[in-house]
Amino acid sequence: MSGPLWDELAELALSRARAAGAEYADIRLLDTTTRTIDGEDRRLSHIRETTDRGFGVRVLHRGAWGFAASSILSLEEIPRVADLAVEIAKGSASLAITKVQLAPEPVHHNRVVTPCRLDPFAVPLEEQTSLLMATMEVIQRHPGVVRSHASLWAQRDRKLFVSTEGTHLEFTLLAMHGDCTATAVHGGRFASRSFSTPHLRMGYELIRDTDFAREAMRIAEQAVEKVRAPVVEAGRYDLVLDPEHLSLTMHESCGHPSELDRALGYEANYAGTSFLTPEKRGTYRYGSPSVNLVADNTEPETLAATGYDDDGVRCQKWDIVREGLFVGYCTNREVASRINEEQSRGSNRADSWGTVPMVRIANIGLEPGTSTLDELLADVKRGIYIEGHGSYSIDQRRYNFQFGGDAFWLIENGRRTHMLRDVIYHGITPEFWGRCDGVADRRHRRRYGFITCGKGQPGQSGWMTHAASHARFRRVDVIAGDVKADE
Amino acid sequence: MTSSITALWPKLTSRQEFEFLADLVMSHSTGDHTCMSLRDVHGGTTRFANNQVIQNVNQRRGTLSITVAFGRQHGTASTTDLTAGAVRETLKQAECIARLSPDDPEYLPPLGPQTYLSLATSRPETSAAGPARRLDYAREAIGQCKMENLDAAGTVSSSVARVGLAADTGLRAYEERTEARFSLTVQAGDATGWSAAAHRSIDRLHVQERTLAAIIKAKRGADEPQELPPGRYTVILEPPAVAGLLSWMIWMLDAKSFYKGTSPFSGTLNTRILDRRLSLFNQPTHADLLGNGFTSEGLPVIESGWIEAGVLTQLLHDRYTAQEHQIDPVPTLESPYLSGERPIGTRVDDLIRTTQRGILVTNFWYIRPVNPSDLTLTGMTRDGTFLIENGEITSAVRNFRFHESPLRAFTHVDAYTTPAEAVTSETGKALVPAMRIHDFNFSSATRF
Repeated sequence: MSGPLWDELAELALSRARAAGAEYADIRLLDTTTRTIDGEDRRLSHIRETTDRGFGVRVLHRGAWGFAASSILSLEEIPRVADLAVEIAKGSASLAITKVQLAPEPVHHNRVVTPCRLDPFAVPLEEQTSLLMATMEVIQRHPGVVRSHASLWAQRDRKLFVSTEGTHLEFTLLAMHGDCTATAVHGGRFASRSFSTPHLRMGYELIRDTDFAREAMRIAEQAVEKVRAPVVEAGRYDLVLDPEHLSLTMHESCGHPSELDRALGYEANYAGTSFLTPEKRGTYRYGSPSVNLVADNTEPETLAATGYDDDGVRCQKWDIVREGLFVGYCTNREVASRINEEQSRGSNRADSWGTVPMVRIANIGLEPGTSTLDELLADVKRGIYIEGHGSYSIDQRRYNFQFGGDAFWLIENGRRTHMLRDVIYHGITPEFWGRCDGVADRRHRRRYGFITCGKGQPGQSGWMTHAASHARFRRVDVIAGDVKADE
Repeated sequence: MTSSITALWPKLTSRQEFEFLADLVMSHSTGDHTCMSLRDVHGGTTRFANNQVIQNVNQRRGTLSITVAFGRQHGTASTTDLTAGAVRETLKQAECIARLSPDDPEYLPPLGPQTYLSLATSRPETSAAGPARRLDYAREAIGQCKMENLDAAGTVSSSVARVGLAADTGLRAYEERTEARFSLTVQAGDATGWSAAAHRSIDRLHVQERTLAAIIKAKRGADEPQELPPGRYTVILEPPAVAGLLSWMIWMLDAKSFYKGTSPFSGTLNTRILDRRLSLFNQPTHADLLGNGFTSEGLPVIESGWIEAGVLTQLLHDRYTAQEHQIDPVPTLESPYLSGERPIGTRVDDLIRTTQRGILVTNFWYIRPVNPSDLTLTGMTRDGTFLIENGEITSAVRNFRFHESPLRAFTHVDAYTTPAEAVTSETGKALVPAMRIHDFNFSSATRF
């Protein structure tokens, strides 16, 4: 769709904004196609394809922002929206104290395309629906399982970004995901166990290369074992966390506090602020020396590796935590200059044409260590091995967190023994990461993506991937996840 | 900003244009059944932090969604392009998906013609409001905070939406809906105070009073907060905190899960689940709630009882499950109204005055389920947590994490006020009382 017509529309918008006095303007035109297939209990409840087309014009006038957007892509609509963006910016300027100064960025001309072997929108729908029906059938055939869920999701974004500085970027991006869940009942309670492929910028090969039948059988068996497992006994345990579980722990306790706009108070009314305030950069001990958290928006197939962000800044790789020390933020062109950084880190993203970009968490990952998983487990006398995502909650400055998981096994004398249920651990972020004393090596590294990271008003969904190998944490507080156990 | 900005307003889809689109879709469809929904919305948000505007946005988005069925095979396609050519393409796509879909044993044809409540869902002052009005409110909130040497962060938003539904069965529904919202966090050093409002009318946001309320909270918390140990406390939950717990109860009322034994309410229908003085109703006609005339499926929104004298009397049914269990009409729950017999008063102060020792909770944040079997939830207190001693607030306290089920907490109710507006960042709008609850479980505390 980003042919000559889109260029014509972009040029019209930017020239109109310039003529109205904008010192900077950019336009994003998007054509997003999303296919969602949802199944529950041996039926497909929704098969839906959405086309979401529109454009957003962002302008700076006297150091203040204005933004307007529309789903009507026409030569008549463009001037209306561009003029409206400038009028809004003039209003913002009347309530501005600090003028926005964009960190410098070279002009870029480029085209970014997600490589893929199989276009998910070209794979026959029958193949996709059959896969989900077969997956649910495997799950529901297992004795003790009462419910099943299975879904596939694919999205293609065609985007054009053009700015008054001369940057011109075209994108054709893909993302893919599949998952399934089994729910078992026993003794008046129920428990679920899930399998999820990572969300990755890949084609349908991600699904073809996954053995859904095997995973469905495994989660069905484990759901039944989980619902019958003994409830955890509260106390202090050593924890060994798998990469999927760690992706959420990192996201909440490292990703969000490293967003500079939060640290500067931009999110004070909703998502919150950050305990990682600017004066702590370079001096604050975030974790143990085993903890190296690196932002890498250049790793192929990961969600934030889009070549350039929505400021038109090239994607980069940088340190957030180095040997336990907090050293870096996720930034955009607006906030980078507030901490005297010479260039943005390229983490400015909007979730559609109709929303304004803001700082989002990068692809932050835990750097591999030198152990094997067996070595991490071998040195645990009494601990818990946790896989997958469960309950999660964290305070608005990202200090006090509480996490569950999808599956738990008791570790005794270096061996995983039987499953537990209702395991919840909690702590204070820097103390928790200070208890990390081992990370498994690169062979254990896995990637998991997020597409529903909530932030902003109106709310937007951020996309990023977090990679990790298994990691061990010593003497963490564990409680049972039901109210009866507290009484 | 001048009034000429209104010349830049888009023209949203009128009823006649909606009828034209509906006729276009129905006349071209080859499906056994066809259903179409439209949502055309224009609105914006002015966002501020550190006492200045940081984001100021406006958006117009029209979305048309078409579902086609051949027998029990169905498929859905949607588009934001409302031109005739794109609408026909979308219809073809929905037909194509439907033909390739397996039979859905739970598929039901669209509803036939319905009779809807005529609700005042739209207010002209809101549809006419734009960036200038939103900026005025932001200026008001920021100005009050600056006078007190405090920092303001918040939003003002307003929107107007035209919503329509049509089906080959003769179903037709069309409504204009407006909504305005205001929320504010006031920062006094480490302490914060918060207030929020939502209403059909932008004139009813009460920005001045709500700003003052947030300022008072922030200033009260500005002294060094006490660190109290985790444990069971008597708490006074202000309406937004009550709404936070209640919302999770409502979201878990799904009838299908109930019948399959995967609901925290399994086995509790027509039994007492809350304090016997409490009742929950759907009140779409209440002027301070955001009731609509119809649901996204075209079901008429109706007044209904859900929990009466503490007894659970109703579940949230999808149309198929409702038919299976002979539920007709299907009750909806978009406008929650929780009330109790013989309230202690109308204000939170009425509860504080009669409390020997307890914790006052302004709001909860990041509430998530911990154990779906018994609806154990966790979350943090936020934006004003105080110690009450001998009927007075004596100090701020550090924020707590709770670990508690509303099914347990709402049976430990000592006293409550009359229902008041509750709007939070994580829930919709409800009318609920402030409550005093004993033995509420705080499992840990944080650093501020």
